[in-house]
Formats: sequence, structure tokens, C-alpha cells
Amino acid sequence: MSEFTGLGADLGMSTGTIPAVASPQTPKLPPREWVRANLFSSPFNSVLTVVSSLIILAITRGLLSFIFNPQRQWDATATNLRLLMTQAYPEEQYLRIWVSVAVILTLTGLSLAVWRAGSAVSIANVGRRLLSFGCTLALFALLAPFSARATIIWLLIAVAVAGGGGTLRRLADSERTISTLALVLIGLSGLVGSLWVVPYGNHTFELHRTPRVIAEPGTVALSTKFPWTIMLLIAVAAYFLGTYLRDRGSLNATRTTLALLWLLMPPVLLYLVLRDPDFDMGHVFGTDIPIFLACAVLGGALLNWLARPSTGEIGRIVAALVLIAAFATFLTPMRMIVRLDLLMLAAFALAAPTFSGGPRARRNYVIGWLGLLGVMSWLVTAVNTPSTIEVPGQFFLGGLSLTLMVAIFTIVISFPLGLALALARTSNMPIFRLLATWFIEFVRGVPMITILIFFSIMVPLFLPPGMHLSEVAAVIIGYSLFSAAYLAENVRGGLQSVTRGQHEAAEAVGMTTSQKTMFIVLPQALRVSIPPLVGHCIGVFKETSLLAIIGLFDVLYIARNVMPNQTEFMGSTKENILFVSLIYWLFCYQMSKASQRLEQRTGLGER
Amino acid sequence: MTDAATEPTAEPMSEPAAGQTRDLSNARDMIVCEDVSKWYGDFQALDGISTTIKEQEVVVVLGPSGSGKSTWIRCINRLEVHQEGRIVVDDVELTNDLRNIEQIRSEVGMVFQQFNLFPHLKVIDNVSLAPIWVRKKPRVEAEEQAMALLERVGIPEQAHKYPGQLSGGQQQRVAIARALAMEPRIMLFDEVTSALDPEMVKEVLDIMKTLALSGMTMMVVTHEMGFAKEVADRIIFMEEGQIVEQGTPQHFFENPTEDRTKLFLSQIL
Repeated sequence: MSEFTGLGADLGMSTGTIPAVASPQTPKLPPREWVRANLFSSPFNSVLTVVSSLIILAITRGLLSFIFNPQRQWDATATNLRLLMTQAYPEEQYLRIWVSVAVILTLTGLSLAVWRAGSAVSIANVGRRLLSFGCTLALFALLAPFSARATIIWLLIAVAVAGGGGTLRRLADSERTISTLALVLIGLSGLVGSLWVVPYGNHTFELHRTPRVIAEPGTVALSTKFPWTIMLLIAVAAYFLGTYLRDRGSLNATRTTLALLWLLMPPVLLYLVLRDPDFDMGHVFGTDIPIFLACAVLGGALLNWLARPSTGEIGRIVAALVLIAAFATFLTPMRMIVRLDLLMLAAFALAAPTFSGGPRARRNYVIGWLGLLGVMSWLVTAVNTPSTIEVPGQFFLGGLSLTLMVAIFTIVISFPLGLALALARTSNMPIFRLLATWFIEFVRGVPMITILIFFSIMVPLFLPPGMHLSEVAAVIIGYSLFSAAYLAENVRGGLQSVTRGQHEAAEAVGMTTSQKTMFIVLPQALRVSIPPLVGHCIGVFKETSLLAIIGLFDVLYIARNVMPNQTEFMGSTKENILFVSLIYWLFCYQMSKASQRLEQRTGLGER
Repeated sequence: MTDAATEPTAEPMSEPAAGQTRDLSNARDMIVCEDVSKWYGDFQALDGISTTIKEQEVVVVLGPSGSGKSTWIRCINRLEVHQEGRIVVDDVELTNDLRNIEQIRSEVGMVFQQFNLFPHLKVIDNVSLAPIWVRKKPRVEAEEQAMALLERVGIPEQAHKYPGQLSGGQQQRVAIARALAMEPRIMLFDEVTSALDPEMVKEVLDIMKTLALSGMTMMVVTHEMGFAKEVADRIIFMEEGQIVEQGTPQHFFENPTEDRTKLFLSQIL
């Protein structure tokens, strides 16, 4: 356990930047007086307390009787976990899923260390939490419709937890703290360890010939517990690698690299790992790479020239010409990738004066161009390459993985789009303002289901011949546009909160409009918009359940329409819905907590 | 000190002490205003302002509230747009041409009443941001210069704090350092001590005095009569958008010619 305390000390130091001011605390009331003062202070309050306690007890008892009713088919969820997570992803390719999970966990572990996540809590406080958890557990054991023997076992467990918490609270030095990350690690190790020890039962769906359910007593299948153990070890290893990088390497470089890796992670995992594309090497070397190289060399040279401070006005004219040329390519038959490359080059060319400077600044700018161009070229190639994963249905993912994928892609795509819309709507240029306002008002006036149906059915009809867009991609584009319109309105609120004095101060030191927007206005506006933005992300995550309407198998659809129709689990809808809502809640609650921490962190500098 | 703007110019100055009349008639014109007028709707804020400010001159603008002092000073770096007349700053005329505006703004430093520091950036980043992105200085050099400036305004130890953690006087000193970091040829001060607690006014005024002594061209809108008397080469008194009277501090405080000036002085002294 010494490594945990080491971990705690390590993280405790990092949060020690805020000076602990000992304020005169209001003396703590003994429990009896606290109850009197807060729950029974007047006859009316006493009535309220009694009535609401009765209601809470009734609800808890109802819920517990539902969950522990022997008629409940919980083995439906246990057996169908794989279906809920990945739908029909082939079992022999499952290593790809685990690799993806491992990549995500590695990045998480590294980021937790590099961004110094987690805080220190006093051990006495942990003891208090355990004590109250034990008491709640005891209450549940009494309320639940258990047999006498089960009730006694659960009561014993509850007493053990509460007793442990109580002794911890009393014995622990009030100065001793432990990192929240260490607590999470202890909890996760307990969970993973229990997979090897506790007989949860071994549930599998045997798909060969006649599908049948196998439910055996004992611990869970090796194909579940072994990978999860490895995953936990990978996450811990990544964390310690992160602390090493944080302390030895250059912090800013590490953070930039990590942020880029996070951005690259979704497309790489989806298109390279999960989808397993079957690249046509002849085409790649004959067409894709030459186009990339031509764009890279010519674009790089052009941008290097444009980012020279001495280029001046003629640079803006050239950039505008590139933009016109990019739009003109849409009028003639041409490869889509060439059009996209030109559009991106135009954007870079227009922004070049903002980032102009000495050789170093120019080199960074050209590197940025090459990086983005490379990612986009590769992505377009990968998207147009057929997948080798064979699954029934239209998309190779389903269940929670589809839900997560759509949510992540939508948020990542709609974020810059929403920013651009918000800036356009507040800009001085009437054309941008008008276009943005119309777009936002139109999208907000149409139900999301309409947009999803439109993009899944209608858009493929409008595409030029030879261009193919998978239904999921079309839907993600539609969903992103929808989400961007709402996001733009959230950001606009933040933009308006930046005072006129800030604009003037930035202008007075000679910043251009784009520099002012990027370094002064947006950082402040985004900080103000954190709560509505996170609320928006939670909404995006939950509304992916509407994908069912256009025939995609998201996690809710599987729980509601697929599992209850399996012969073994007829009518298990209620249980499945309860389980799925637990999954949704877990994710949304984490986002909400993350938002609170982000607010605390970014608010540090102000006032 | 690498800061070119703060180095005294090569030409020998006739006197080291400020407040006494210096002979600036041979200096070149820094700011030229010809018949500048500005309206807010029907309200005329500036009414035919004409004056010339020489290099190294320290001009203090006085006048009652709403007399157009701040509007005028804000016109000089185009935070406000004048509608009639000409303003020429350092031989560049202020027009709608964006390049002219950006060039002038990077040569004219401005300090505001409400500080307007960037609250999301540390003090040192507040100071070095514009040199890095507008002047295209390498980051290391810009940060060294920022530290030197913070030392000059007396708060190097606050460099890695956020503006919100500083007192009003310290914030205003950071704002001065931020403006100086662009190595401006002209500094504009818009009622910089009005939002400060009385005990912090002095620390800011002291810095402005040193700056004036170093030969910076300065235009100061203020209500600090002591500062005006001590530091100004010329005092301009404004009312209702017009220049009522201008002259040396001795002339202005001891024997003003206009009745309006006498009334103003009798109310404040």
C-alpha cells in the first residue's frame, strides 16, 4: 500500500498551491442537536421531515423489491453484455476492441498524471464516507425483500464497512490525506479482483449452430476477467509513465502532444483499428500519396512565403485567390480530396498573417499545415477503403460503442463549427452574420429527428455520382450541424460576457482582430461557457438514443427491442432499461463532475 | 534596459527636472489634430479641436466630466472614430485603412481607468503577449523584456500571479508595463488613477513621473492637479468638446485668462 501513499503525497503537493487559510470554523454540533436544529426546528419542519423520510423509504423499498425480485431476468443483461457493448462485432476480432480500450486507458492515465488530476482528501473524511455508506447499506439490507439468511449476511457486511469507516475516522490523523486517484485505484482493483474471486456466474451466448444460453455458476469467463485485469495494469502503468514524463520532460510539449493524440485517437481507432480497412496499395502509392506530396510541397512553400511579415498586402490577395480557386474546383469534375486540400490551404493562407513571424514561427506554421494535411489525406483514404470486418447490418459497431462513437465524433466536429458560427454571428461583417444567423435559426427550428432522417435518406441522393457516404457518416454530419447550432448560441453568451474594456485593451496594443479573438476573447468566453457547454455535451450523449429511429443499433435500442425478443429472455425490457439508464447516468455524471472540476481550475486566476 | 522607447534621446535636454518650461519648439510634431469633431448621434462630443503635441512633450488634459477629454484621447489611437478633421500621429494619418490603424496602435501605448488587464493570463504573459504576436519577438526575449519592465514598475515578484490576485495600484502598474512593452513613442493615460484607492494613487503617479522624465511623449487625462503642476509641459483645459485654454502650468494655475478656467479652478482648489 506504500505506493498509494506515495501517490497521495505526490498529488497532495500539486494541489498545495492554494494557501490553506484557517478560517474560524463554526463549531460542529453534536448529532442530537444537529438533528434538532436542522430537521425538527419547528412543528411544520418536523412534519416535512417525517413525510419526506417516509416517501424516500417507500421509494427505496419499491426499487429494492423490484431489483431483488426472483422473477427478474438479470441474467438477460449478464448474458447480453457483449451485445450491449459492441453488438455483433465478431468474436475472433475482439482483440481490436481491447486494443482500442487500452489506447483510451493509456491516454487517460497519461493525461491524469500530466494534468495533475485528482485532489487530496483526508483519511478521516474517507472514514466518514465509509461509515455513512455502511449505514445506508444496512438500511437497504433491512428494506430489501431478502431471505432471513441473506439479510443477516448483508447486515454483517454493512456493519463491517461502517465499523471500518468508524475506526478509520477515529484513528486517522486529521492531517493525513490520500489522493482521490489512489481511492479510485483501490476501488477499481477491488472490482477487478472480485472478477477472479466472487462467483458472479459465467454467462455466455453460444452462437454456433443453434444459439443457446450457457449460464454456469462460478466466476466470470476468462475472456472477461483476464482482459480487464490487463487493462487496469495498463492504466496504472500509463499513469506512472505520465508522472515520469511530467517531471523529466518538457511539460508544455508533453501536454501539446497528448492533446493532439486525444484528437487523433477517435479516427485512428475507428478507421485503422476497429474497421480494419483493406488498403489497395496500388491506389495508395499511385494516387493518394502523390496528391498528398504535391499539396504538401506546393502548399508548404506558399504558406512559408505568406507567413513572412514582409509579404504584406499581396499575401491577402493571393489567399483570396486560393479560396476562389478552391470553390471553383467544385464546378469541374475532380477528385474530392483535391477540393478539400485546396479549401484547407485557403483557410491556412487566410490565417497566415496572424501567425507570421520569424523562421521559427513560419516553420511551426508549415508543420501545422503538413500535419493537418497528412491526417486529412489519410482519413479520406481510410474512409474510402472497404472494411474487412464482416457483420450483419449496416454498421460494424453497435450498442454502447456506437453510442460513444457518435457522441465523441459529434462533439469533436461540432465544437470548432459552433465556435466559428458564434464568431460569425457576432462579427462585424454583415454577410457572415446573416449566414450564421439564418443557419442557426433554421437548424434550431427543425426537430432533430427530421435532420437525422434527412441526412440518412435524402443526402445520399443529392451526392454527386461516384461519391459514397455511409449512413453513419451522413448521420454524424447532420447531428454535428444540429449540435453546432446550439453550441454556437452557448458560446455567443460567453462572447458577450467579455467586456468592451478587454476588446479595447487588446486593440490598444495593436493586435489584429484574429489575434484579439484567439488570445483574449475566446479563452475568456469559453471559460464562462463551460457549464452550458458541458450541459450541451451531456445532451448530445443522451440524444444519440434517437439513432434507433433511422435503424442503427444503439445501446438503448438493443435493450428495448432486441433483448426482450430473444426466446430465453422474453419480456425483460424493464430490467434492461434500468441497466441502460445506469450506464447513461454513469457517463453523464462523470461529465458533470468533470465540468465542476474544470470550473474550479479555470476560475483560479480570477478574483 | 533594452527598451528603446525609454532611452533618453541623443539630443541633450536643457533641463533634467520636469515641471519647468522646456523649449520644445525645435522638436518634431508627434500628434497633430486639425479641427477634429465627433458626434454621438445628435450630441457633439468634440467640437473643432486643433493642437499640436511635440516629441517628448507631456500634455495634461483637464476639464469637467463630459467635456470630451476621454473621447479625444481615445480618438488618437482610433478606439473612437472622429468624423471631421484630421489626426496625424507620428506622420501617419488616421484613416479607415486597417494597416495604418494597426501601425499607430503599436506605436501608441494606452493605459485605461479600469486597468483592463487580461484576467486569464499571468502578469508576465499580459506584458509579453503583444510583443510576441504583434512585434513577432521570440518568446524568450519578450519575457526577459517583460521582467525588466516589471522590475521598472517595481513588481517583479508578482510576475507569475494572475491580475485578480493583485491590488489596484499593482494592476495599474502592470497595465503601464504592458503598454511600455510595445516600445511605444507616445503614451496615453486615460484617468488612470480614478479607480484607485487613495493610498495607491502615489505609486502609479510616481511611475508616470519617471516616464515623463525619461523623455516619453505623454498625453494624460487626469484629475490629479498636483501631478499636472509638477510634470506637465502644457495643460489643456477642455469644456463641451472644445479647447478653452492651454498653456504652461504656471500660466494655467496662477493667472488663467478665461472665466471658465477660473471657475473650474475655484471649484477644485
